[in-house]
Amino acid sequence: MSVHSALEELAKYRVQNRRASQEVFEKGTSVLQKNGHSKMGDEVWDFLEQLALAAIDVGRLDVADQCLRRLSDKFPQSPRVDCLAGIRLEASEPPETALKYYSELLEADPTNVAVWKRRISVLRRMGQTEEAISELSQYLDTFYTDIEGWLELADIYARCNQYDYSLQALSHTLLLAPQNPVYVLQSAETAYTAGDLPLSLKMFLMVVDMTDGDETEFLAESTPLGITVRAWYGVKLCARRMSENPRVVTASASDASPPKHLGLLDELATERLRVAYSSAGQKGDIAQGRGIVFSWVASP
Amino acid sequence: MVSYAVSHKAYVKIFLHAAKHPHRLVNGVLIGESSSGVVDIQDVIPLLHHWTSLSPMMEIGLDLAKGYAESLDLSLVGYYQASERTDDTALAPVGERVAQQIRNQFDDAIAFVIDGDALGSGGVALIPYLPQSGAGATPWRLRSFDPPAFTPGSQITLVNPASPSHAVALVRDNRLHDKFGDFDDHLEDVTIDWLSNKACTIPSV
Repeated sequence: MSVHSALEELAKYRVQNRRASQEVFEKGTSVLQKNGHSKMGDEVWDFLEQLALAAIDVGRLDVADQCLRRLSDKFPQSPRVDCLAGIRLEASEPPETALKYYSELLEADPTNVAVWKRRISVLRRMGQTEEAISELSQYLDTFYTDIEGWLELADIYARCNQYDYSLQALSHTLLLAPQNPVYVLQSAETAYTAGDLPLSLKMFLMVVDMTDGDETEFLAESTPLGITVRAWYGVKLCARRMSENPRVVTASASDASPPKHLGLLDELATERLRVAYSSAGQKGDIAQGRGIVFSWVASP
Repeated sequence: MVSYAVSHKAYVKIFLHAAKHPHRLVNGVLIGESSSGVVDIQDVIPLLHHWTSLSPMMEIGLDLAKGYAESLDLSLVGYYQASERTDDTALAPVGERVAQQIRNQFDDAIAFVIDGDALGSGGVALIPYLPQSGAGATPWRLRSFDPPAFTPGSQITLVNPASPSHAVALVRDNRLHDKFGDFDDHLEDVTIDWLSNKACTIPSV
């Protein structure tokens, strides 16, 4: 791969915030070897930070140290470089050392958001869940619009089976990014796990609404793809559970109203899934496991 | 006492799943059959690498995996997971629930947690968990066996002792894990073959 295309790929990963560390490491080190970084202008600093993180991930701390040295030479006393140095510390020192380092930085500069978040993630890694939750909640009180923070909180709660609190955390992501179907999907799945089936069903249907083709296409003519398929699976599962156990229909912690036409929704979800598995994919491939899926949707 | 034999294919696939998502928790089920006191773990079906604490897709994946196993005259015989942290070898709460569910339908179900530290070294990277004896949904415990698991004469063995080193080579040299797909991947693109992962040809040894 040429230096130019490697740099393009790396830039793409930065924009998408992808963690593909093995690829980043391979492409990044090849760029360094071919001296490609000298022609990058100011982008080279983002590149070195990205490579440092990838190198730490794949265990090549020597390469990470090289990048870190260049960055701290260029930007002495930069909060961003300090944070990267902290991550490097986490890779080889006990977590208490990193925690102490972050606390000292925060005392000197309480607005260093990146370092605060690192501190919280170290607490989480050490198993100090209650403290992590308390600090993260404090953080979100101050920096309310940090969606990543709300998602992290939702994840921490879900891991300890506190699905109601998880759902509450997710509700903030819905307020902050109402157009994003992925957060609605995560809320639907969390609501299901929390036992609130009417809410879960409602949200799965919202995902379908947000993602299933454009409005000019009739539903019957479109093939569900990607996230829409997952949402239809969710609708089918909810409909099935609700007809197996009528009690869950009215037991909604969020007071979500039960659906009026459960039987019809079940039929619709079944039909949509059958279509998804019957059509050839975009590349003309066939759907896998079709027979198994067809029996699953058909069984009572 | 029941013994367990992990096939080459099963071991390698667990390894591929963990290798594909090194910084996430991944899980899946073991399929196989039981005969003359030996549980033959023939293959695995990978489930999730995303939102692993949430249940709907796990429930659907389990149902579909069961349907597939039955179509081959096999059963679900266990569960596996790999944690995001190499030092975390506990069976997560979601893992216990799934393992117990499988145990309700297959008496000798077993669970494996991947040993992150052993993964890269070429040693056997599976830590077995079994429920405590006694009725009820008791916690699944790390079981120590005598002889220890995966040593000669143990109740838990690899069908092929070279599986770990082969798995490392397939990931490192052939990047076979790039072709591996689980249920989460399938939900984004239904043309991904998560049930049998035929595209991942594992050479027999």
